[in-house]
Amino acid sequence: MEKWATRIKVLFFAALFASLGNTINTWVTHNRSATPAKVIIYMPWDVWPALALMVAICMLGLVITDWVEKKWPKADLPSILFISMIAIIVGLPGVSPLANFMKVEFAKIGLLPLCTPILSYAGISIGKDLPAFKKQGIAIVTVALFTFIGTFIASAIIAEIALRATGQI
Amino acid sequence: MKHFNLKDWKVHLMCIVIVVIAELIGNFKYANGLLSFTLFPMLYALVIGAIFFGVKIIDQKMMETASPYIGISVTLLTVKVGSTIGPNLEQVIKAGPALLLQELGNLGPILFSMPIAIFVFNMGREAVGACFSISREGSLAVIGDLYGLDSAEGRGVMGAYVTGTLLGTIFNSLMSSAALASGLFHPFSLAMACGTGSASMMTAALAPLVEKFAAQPEMVTQMQAYAAGSQILTGVDGLYINLFVAIPFTNWFYKKLKRMRNPNITEAELLPVKKVK
Repeated sequence: MEKWATRIKVLFFAALFASLGNTINTWVTHNRSATPAKVIIYMPWDVWPALALMVAICMLGLVITDWVEKKWPKADLPSILFISMIAIIVGLPGVSPLANFMKVEFAKIGLLPLCTPILSYAGISIGKDLPAFKKQGIAIVTVALFTFIGTFIASAIIAEIALRATGQI
Repeated sequence: MKHFNLKDWKVHLMCIVIVVIAELIGNFKYANGLLSFTLFPMLYALVIGAIFFGVKIIDQKMMETASPYIGISVTLLTVKVGSTIGPNLEQVIKAGPALLLQELGNLGPILFSMPIAIFVFNMGREAVGACFSISREGSLAVIGDLYGLDSAEGRGVMGAYVTGTLLGTIFNSLMSSAALASGLFHPFSLAMACGTGSASMMTAALAPLVEKFAAQPEMVTQMQAYAAGSQILTGVDGLYINLFVAIPFTNWFYKKLKRMRNPNITEAELLPVKKVK
């Protein structure tokens, strides 16, 4: 039960903080925009329906994860699998009655303002990782750049082959 | 109800303080010649955390309390990323084999970057986090869920995320210019390669292509369609490709290369330190 108390508490706070952050974010963007009329400022409660659905999906996904783990401990399936699948099903037009609600309401909360509270929790615990970051920083940056090159070149090669094979170029 | 308590109020208070400061600073756009990037509040949140640690506002106990909260809160990000998949599913099914096959290109970087990580830098499991994808928001969700963002893998993906934010746009722009100049690829292939899962990187990579063919508007429209199609596809399948193909393959490749470098390495040294549940 303690696990669930923590989960509910953290999801509640993260969602609440995201709604406040989203308001500040849209307000700041509005004030700095060259065309302020186009940037809508969302009040925290404007995004609460979206966040309530998000939290509900997370909880359902966690319930399923726990249940699967109890039933098949060896399967070792991560919660992201179940949570993302529920999110997909709920958002499927023509299948889910909530699909339109999800599309309209979720658009009000930005991806980045939603990330900010998560990364704030990460920021709070980052202190213990700083020495490791310092030690590996240059390596991580270099490797990341090679990942970009690799992704682009590999995608281009496969695209070239596939487009030629299907006669599109 | 006895399990509900707010003994950790300091951590949540700190969280909202950081969120408010970060969001008030707002997006920061920088453009100077070729180099242009936008910094987002979520990045400041990390930096503010590090500064607060430096000036001892955050203590050891708060760090330990906040650590599991990352894995719990990251599920919200999973829902947001997942919610964009459903409405696009039909389009992806119609996309055809060329676009689908091309998705495997997103596995290419692992073959490139992992050997460099192991043989040049002798990296630890940070390499897994940095190599398995181009480290955008969805990747943060995957690693956050599997290992936690404050693990070795988490350091890898967060470091790569910051790198991508700062250098991703210019890097992608230069890369597509160079690839176009090389004459090895059809512009449509390059346009498809532009859709790697990050909107800003796609726009940056597409820019040189659009510029070159500005005189042929129908060509530009087609290139944009290829890029957007590939982008949507990555958005849809990226999560699952990462989870079921990229992460297992990266882990396997990591172990393989580590053993090549050091045959005496023990199995325990190759495994993740912790697993989030």
